[in-house]
Amino acid sequence: MKNLKSIVALAMSLFMLVPASLFASSHREAPITALDRSADVTDWYAFVSYDHPDKVTFILNVDPLLEPANGPNYFPFDDNVVYQMLVDNNQDGIPDVTFQFRFTTQIRNPNLFTGFVGGIAGIPPITSLHNGTGSEGLSLRQTYTVTMIKNGVSTVLNNGQTLYAVPSNVGPLTMPNYPELFNEGIRNLTGGFRVWAGTADDPFFIDLGAFFDSVNFRHGTGPVLTSAIDTDDTHNYAPDAVGGYNVNSIVLEVPIQMLTADGKIHPASDKRAVIGTYGSTARHAMTVRSSPNPDVNSGSLQQVNREGNALINEAIIGTGFKDRFSMDFPIHDAQFANFVLDPVAAGVLSSLGVPVPPNPRTDLLILAQYEPPICPGCGAKDAGPVADLLRLNTGIPPTAVGSQKRLGFIAGDVAGYPNGRRPIDDVFDISLRAIEGILVDSTKFGLALGDGVNTKTEGFNNSFPYVMPANSGRNSVHTGPGQAGCTGQPGGICPTE
Amino acid sequence: MKKKISLLCTIMIAAAFAAAQDTTSVATAGLSPAEQSIAEARTAISEKPAEYAGYNLLAAALVRRAQETSSVAFYSQAEDVVKKSLELAPNNFDGEKVQVSILLGEHQYQAALEGAKALNQRMPDDVMVYGLLTDANVALGNYKDAEDSAQWMLNLRPGNLPALIRAAGLRELFGENEGSYELVQLAYQSTPPTDIPARAALLAQMGRLRFASGNIDSDEKLFQQALTVSPGDPAALGNLAELRIAQKRYPEAVTLLQQRYRSVPRPANLYRLAEAIQLAGQESEAKKAFTEFERQALQESDKKDNANRELIFYYADHAQQPAKALKIAQLEFAWRRDVYTLDAYGWALHVNGQDAEASKQINAALAVGIRDAKFFLHAGEISAKLGDRTAAERYFQQSAQLNGAESEQARNLLASLTEKSER
Repeated sequence: MKNLKSIVALAMSLFMLVPASLFASSHREAPITALDRSADVTDWYAFVSYDHPDKVTFILNVDPLLEPANGPNYFPFDDNVVYQMLVDNNQDGIPDVTFQFRFTTQIRNPNLFTGFVGGIAGIPPITSLHNGTGSEGLSLRQTYTVTMIKNGVSTVLNNGQTLYAVPSNVGPLTMPNYPELFNEGIRNLTGGFRVWAGTADDPFFIDLGAFFDSVNFRHGTGPVLTSAIDTDDTHNYAPDAVGGYNVNSIVLEVPIQMLTADGKIHPASDKRAVIGTYGSTARHAMTVRSSPNPDVNSGSLQQVNREGNALINEAIIGTGFKDRFSMDFPIHDAQFANFVLDPVAAGVLSSLGVPVPPNPRTDLLILAQYEPPICPGCGAKDAGPVADLLRLNTGIPPTAVGSQKRLGFIAGDVAGYPNGRRPIDDVFDISLRAIEGILVDSTKFGLALGDGVNTKTEGFNNSFPYVMPANSGRNSVHTGPGQAGCTGQPGGICPTE
Repeated sequence: MKKKISLLCTIMIAAAFAAAQDTTSVATAGLSPAEQSIAEARTAISEKPAEYAGYNLLAAALVRRAQETSSVAFYSQAEDVVKKSLELAPNNFDGEKVQVSILLGEHQYQAALEGAKALNQRMPDDVMVYGLLTDANVALGNYKDAEDSAQWMLNLRPGNLPALIRAAGLRELFGENEGSYELVQLAYQSTPPTDIPARAALLAQMGRLRFASGNIDSDEKLFQQALTVSPGDPAALGNLAELRIAQKRYPEAVTLLQQRYRSVPRPANLYRLAEAIQLAGQESEAKKAFTEFERQALQESDKKDNANRELIFYYADHAQQPAKALKIAQLEFAWRRDVYTLDAYGWALHVNGQDAEASKQINAALAVGIRDAKFFLHAGEISAKLGDRTAAERYFQQSAQLNGAESEQARNLLASLTEKSER
């Protein structure tokens, strides 16, 4: 763990010095979340469910780079953080529907030296999240509630069910059938909702090390990919630095009617089909004014971190502004507009010899306003304020599994990023190309930029909850240079140079 | 209160700034934290005279020393030092931050506010800049903006000391004395035992808040504790003197205030000493003290860092020169609208017979939420003059319920009003 912290500290210092390193993932992007990791939103996904075109699935990932073996307590959700999914459905940048998740931690056996034990000392293996046989060794257990706030009315969606968070995958002796525990976490809620929360394999993929080393790509893999690599959506040519790490995930599937302003499903051409979404974390704030409720020492929640579009805070927002960005609301994002119109990252690409369009980069406003092609039904007056929201046209049906493209919308897979975001979407490469100017002119500014990490080492889960089970604490490995994990390379060994 | 909070805030900012610097350790036995920082900064400068960071450290330490000693000469020194830093590295962020803190120390609040705003635009994630914004806005009476800035401090780094101090000060201004005490206590618990001036100042602040709430036993202990931690701490001496005045132990109050004035020979301190001497029945000595106060106060009256508030009350309540009180009050009111200025201005209007306007000003001050015995007394007297007996009784009652030198006067006026109504 100390080593990891050192790496992160080094990365943060590079952050300060080298603009190019702003291309990092959303893992610990701002100083405030580097200090408050359980409230750190790593990634935010929103997409029409693959098997239910009448539903949207949201995934809120928090707490980055969880080492699967890091016992004894692993990484539970924070009881003092309110995890939120927020949806704007009328193009004004203000949330109209909010889902809140609150966790409660229970230590069932305070005498155990670890939160999870099984298959030893007469304690049976952990085979169930619920009370009774098979849950005896589940000492650290978390329950959670799901609350929907809509039209000023809060509704607890649990409907009497006790919802359990799925713990980290400790190992085969303690949890001999982890996939079963994983599946036990999937719960149907009344109203057509489905929910899952727990520790999962982190679906994000990137060659973090190469980028943090001042954009020092592996030989032959970047920044301009060969056609063979660029068109290969199923193999990696460089190490996925997030491979083998876990993350805490909250997944919620919601009927589209619950999200749109008028409670109906609309075709893609109708602006009412388009929603703007973001995920956030909040804590009860210490307030200047005394709290009317001293028990919580606050009158309101204070947002700690948020994410709408991938990599905005990392690739666009200046380092002296990141905390303010994290803690402010999307409706106030006009204050950061200059970072979009004059992105430092474009200058970095230019310094590498990549042609980029001149400023102001109004082409990037598609990420911050309601505009065609994501919202073909939106006119100029519907653009709304500049606000970092992940916009999703719920009228665009999901692309069938197998036909999905890692480059999403820019590769013609219109159900992909930046029309929402799916786990398969290679947001790093897509963002690089957006900053390069592909939305301005795909011929002049269409170099196939990328890091050579085109897919997730552990693969993808193509059904709810769309995240893969957590990596085993005992048996998992990480992917690194000189190690296995790059199936596109000879022998599957990741390049070191 | 405002000066005490300002002192705490500056100490915290300077301490935070100093802590952020990487300096060579020097022998520091017997030195105050500011003196230690000054010594360290001078060492850093001598080792690397072309590095601007050492000058920033020295300037910040001098600001803190100015607050430790209440000697404005240190601000002038700090100005010269930060100028050097900005010559070496124009627009360096830390240098400009110190520059704003110097402006605050010199009571150049509008200029400080503009400087802090510019810094905030350059780097909105810098917590200390929100502190500078808060301080400038409090001094100018922009309380909503001050609250917003302080809230951002709390949000960005929950529980950080400078934010706690500022939030505590604002809570007191908003009339939440208990909530203010909680935050100061939290700040005290988080302050390193080695930071003696800050701990003494926080203890004195806790005692003063207890005193204002009527808890005399508790505040006596806290003041004594502050004086044990830091013998001769000016804030603790002043607060203990106020307690003695409330207890009608005037000679002891005079002794304490003399001690404070010797330590910090500022006209504002002399004014309170003169009042205490008068309360102790030494009319001739009091007259001398008031005369000396007036001389000193007039010398700095046209500066931003002045004793004009005390001068207003001197002319209004002791010298019977209402026109002079109003003239000074108008000057102050022209550039700042904090609650203390509104109260003084309102009182100056009252003694000049302009009670309708006086009522407007004192009510504007009370609308912020502050619960201060003197404010309520003034509001009561103005209401009585306007013939609003109900309001006058209410204000006198509010003043009488609090602890303060004016509470006794409010009780007498309330009794007098009640007596009249019974007739």
